[in-house]
Amino acid sequence: MRIFRFLLAAVVTGALIWFLKTPQKAGDKSLPPLGAFFNPFSGFWANAERADGANFDDKSLPGLKAPCQVLYDDLLVPHIFAENLDDALRVEGFVIASQRLWQMDITTRKASGRLSEVLGARTLPIDKMTRRRGMVYAAENALVGWKKSEEGMRLLQAYTDGVNAYIDQLDPAEYPIEFKLLDYKPEHWSVLKTALVIESMAETLASGESDLASTNALALFGQETFDFLYPEWNPKQEPIIPDTGQWKVAQKALAEAESGKKLSVAPDFVPNSGTLASNELPDIDPYLKGSNNWAVSGGKTKSGHPMLANDPHLNLTLPSIWFQVQIHTPEQNCYGVALPGVPGVVIGFNEYTAWGMTNVGQDVSDWYRVKWANAERSKYLIDGQQRDVRMQVEVIPVRGQDTVYDTVRYTDWGPMVYDNDAQHPLYDCALRWISHDVPEPDEMALFLRLNSGKNFQDYQKALSGFDCPAQNFVFATRSGDIAIQVQGRYPVRAKEQGRFIQDGSTMATAWKNFIPQDMIPGMRNPSRGFVFSANQHSTPPSYPYYYLANDFEDYRSRRIYSRLDTMHDATPAYMKAMQNDNFSQRAADALPAMFRLLDQDKLDEDGRKMAKELAEWQYTYDADLTAPPLYDIWYDSCYLKTWDEMDVLRKQNKTILMPEAWRFIELLEQDTSNIFFDKRNTPQRETAREIVNESFRAMQAYFRQNPDKRTSWGPFRGFALKHLAQIDAFSRLDLVVGGNKSTPNAISKTNGPSWRMIVDLGDQVKGMGVYPGGQSGNPGSRFYDNMVNTWAKGEYYDLLFMKSAEEAPERILAKQSFTSK
Amino acid sequence: MKNALLTTLFILVFGCLGYWGLPWWGLAVVAGVAAWFFPLSGGKSFSTAFAAGFLLWFVAALLHNMSNGGILSAKIGVLFMGVKGWHLMSITALFGGLLAGFGALTSSYARQMMFPDKPRRYGRRR
Repeated sequence: MRIFRFLLAAVVTGALIWFLKTPQKAGDKSLPPLGAFFNPFSGFWANAERADGANFDDKSLPGLKAPCQVLYDDLLVPHIFAENLDDALRVEGFVIASQRLWQMDITTRKASGRLSEVLGARTLPIDKMTRRRGMVYAAENALVGWKKSEEGMRLLQAYTDGVNAYIDQLDPAEYPIEFKLLDYKPEHWSVLKTALVIESMAETLASGESDLASTNALALFGQETFDFLYPEWNPKQEPIIPDTGQWKVAQKALAEAESGKKLSVAPDFVPNSGTLASNELPDIDPYLKGSNNWAVSGGKTKSGHPMLANDPHLNLTLPSIWFQVQIHTPEQNCYGVALPGVPGVVIGFNEYTAWGMTNVGQDVSDWYRVKWANAERSKYLIDGQQRDVRMQVEVIPVRGQDTVYDTVRYTDWGPMVYDNDAQHPLYDCALRWISHDVPEPDEMALFLRLNSGKNFQDYQKALSGFDCPAQNFVFATRSGDIAIQVQGRYPVRAKEQGRFIQDGSTMATAWKNFIPQDMIPGMRNPSRGFVFSANQHSTPPSYPYYYLANDFEDYRSRRIYSRLDTMHDATPAYMKAMQNDNFSQRAADALPAMFRLLDQDKLDEDGRKMAKELAEWQYTYDADLTAPPLYDIWYDSCYLKTWDEMDVLRKQNKTILMPEAWRFIELLEQDTSNIFFDKRNTPQRETAREIVNESFRAMQAYFRQNPDKRTSWGPFRGFALKHLAQIDAFSRLDLVVGGNKSTPNAISKTNGPSWRMIVDLGDQVKGMGVYPGGQSGNPGSRFYDNMVNTWAKGEYYDLLFMKSAEEAPERILAKQSFTSK
Repeated sequence: MKNALLTTLFILVFGCLGYWGLPWWGLAVVAGVAAWFFPLSGGKSFSTAFAAGFLLWFVAALLHNMSNGGILSAKIGVLFMGVKGWHLMSITALFGGLLAGFGALTSSYARQMMFPDKPRRYGRRR
């Protein structure tokens, strides 16, 4: 009897413990093990930070040469005061890890195809693709380059050690809450992980290409129509670097060397129009990744000081991709945003200069069709000679199931990304991507050199070692210089080389050289008094080297150009207004052309009301206006009805290049009876007029069927600031903001200005900035999303740029000291 | 009565080892030890330990939640099907109570099984 009741009690206790120890499911959501998660001492409750003030214990940090001090201001920005750069970066690693450890972990897991190790089989396809694209291979090659710079590696190691010192002193109760939710532990940082962060930026910013879509379009339409539909140069474009005669000599030399060369499509690839190769990602509106930056000389500003502005547009997440930090040593004093995992400040300013960047977006990623020498596809031919394929076995641990092995073939071109899928159109194609190359040794030191730079020469020296992802580096100094440089590593291309899938059976199609540093487009102190970029064309067609992109920007750049061009007596407030500008040049081009073709007298009453609203619209995508949704639906309908030839293929998941918006609008303005306005499924011949009128009626029908969509732009477009693991409870889904892809304030559903910064380079350099997030990565901290509302309102913070640790005590929340013992 | 008080105090004091790394299931062990050294009848053992475990985990969660101003519990509540912060504290406390209660009950029954004469003595004291 006693045994029985003891056993019963023991079994019930055991069952309770088992229940609390085993991850549970609630509907389709998986819950963490409840016992550990609810343990009030070390579970999620331990992440409930104090809501008043902030507390930081002093720390011992082995390897420090001298004591360091960190002051946290009222935005929780750490201001690091160190005696030397090694110490400063060691402490930077520590403090960034202390706020963003899980973000650093998940970012590098994603970049190295290791998500499934902690998230299970659902992320296996993502991991496979990451590995098949050679992301780890790219990071390892980056290290090969970086290791040639002793100083760079020493500093990177100091940063790495700082991160690891934080991890080593961490109590499991202090693990970021995501580790507890997903039930795994942090692991050590490494220099390879820093390389992975850089490569994941390269993947985001420098992997764009449309080789397959272009090859299909060429096959479908033939050369003449292809050239008509997809011209590479928009005549209305304002390139980043204008032609001032600087390229004349090089043009002549290159013209002689390259005369008559044109590399066409891989000969045996060309599919006929009936069997277009398909691809899993049809998309008419490519993922928005753009950015704006500009610098203006003192002649254009009210104060007479140069000013610099930058707002990089990226996928917006919580925690934010950026982390603000100030690094003060006897040699340098800089402030700005860092990427968690990368030492130094990426975008920012110091006591002499300011710098920022936008993505160049040139295509540095080509596909080569490989010619196999045997049926096993273990040997291939180049110029008739056999070469061996290298088999790379990817070992992918998967939580809750057996490890998965995936073999990827590597040729001298690069990895065969799709060789596991015989149905894929790129099955026989190897990826040649600049990120797989060994970079310049100084790549790592780029940001550190910008951080400590004092003048234009320092800026040029810093940039000269930077390869990828190519960036438009804007620059200004207190002494009056402004400059911009389209820095990156670009292959020297024959005309249209890399626009289509290339023949991989011969070295004739290979990248042979890279554009030399002295021919990289750039300019300093132009007479117009400003430099700027917004992901548009780097140069006009007179630039001697051929380059391409799958989507150069066409509208933000023109808007920004016109505002800078007419600007005088500018103030920081004007710069803020420019960054928050919701004016769409695209709408301003397209809508008048559409109105010219609209038969307004044939509209019903509802239609006349809508037309009136559109006619009164000033082309601004403000959140509270109801006209932008009307325009968007009308325009999209015009666009898709015109390109019905391609849209029908797109709907069958076939990859086909869509004409750019500017080309479409140009035809609408100039060539209204073009054959492409004819709808293929009707007997009569339509012109742009029929398309525009039909689209207007389609727009009316859309709003009749979806009355809830007849609302203002903010709610119509929608906006979500999502947590990195897509956990809604940690996301901000309540924000209503204006802007659109084509406006300088380029906000889309999940993307937008990830850091708005304005720097006034007077005697005392002043910075203003904001990002949609907070310094803390902890959803239980009041600093998790405290800047979000400020950002959404288009407001800024005065950044606390300290000259000494004693300054501005009223803005300092907490102090933390670091000693080596 | 004395043993009930001692059990409660023991659990409240040693349950706080959670702050120093005692795992969550350690609360069942702590309660078990308390029940072993301060014997009570099975039912009393359970109810006393349940109350102590409940109180301990409730207060620990409450203190975190108060100093945090409820920022985190509001978000975790959304994660757990939209429950409120104080629900989360109650769930936490319930887990603490159950762990302590069943730990104590098991220990109490084990003791009564191994030392069959003891319960009578305690019965007399009662």
